[in-house]
Amino acid sequence: MTRAEVYEKLNKVFQDVFDDETITVHDETTSEDIEDWDSLEHINLVVAVENEFDVDFNMGEVNKMKNVGEMVDIILQRAEG
Amino acid sequence: MNHYTFNDLYVGQREEFSVTVTENMLSSFRAVTGDVNPLHTDDAFAQAYNYPQHVVYGLLTTSFLSTLTGVYLPGERCLIQSVEVKFPKPVFVGDELLVVGTVAELHESVRQLVLKVEIMRRGVRVLKGTMRLGVLEG
Repeated sequence: MTRAEVYEKLNKVFQDVFDDETITVHDETTSEDIEDWDSLEHINLVVAVENEFDVDFNMGEVNKMKNVGEMVDIILQRAEG
Repeated sequence: MNHYTFNDLYVGQREEFSVTVTENMLSSFRAVTGDVNPLHTDDAFAQAYNYPQHVVYGLLTTSFLSTLTGVYLPGERCLIQSVEVKFPKPVFVGDELLVVGTVAELHESVRQLVLKVEIMRRGVRVLKGTMRLGVLEG
């Protein structure tokens, strides 16, 4: 899976979770960029990403992710692994 | 009161309890919420809409999900994050309800439990839905 392919799916996940079809995310996107991205929606987002990509993050990874790019890095690592 | 930790839980795990709806429960719910809609208080009004008697508040029936999760599954470490429910059939005073929860998903990264919930009256489903629950550490 390429980084572009991950983003294609990931944009759809973000749009579904935040119920906003205009959302497009990139490597530097953080919770500061999406108004509804609070702690509860963060949980929903992580679960939706896990389901979409059939990956399981661990708690340490979730706590350390600084932006969407780091989430994509982990998704790609899992896909390679 | 159950004391399940996240690690105690598994997909397919199930808990249930029974409760009979009383007129006093409706009165208490009305006192708390101020919902005086006649569908829930007036038999004649309800019968005009083809119900045999006044109908139990859907959110009173839903309130038993608080007990299901906060007392039974997972019990004391429960933190309700969301509730989605549908009401396929009405509930009436005197109905004995079986309140059932089954673990559908576990997401360790965010300590979230997805619980399929249903409430049955003599084998007929009167509520169905999904709850997302945090499981507190400790």
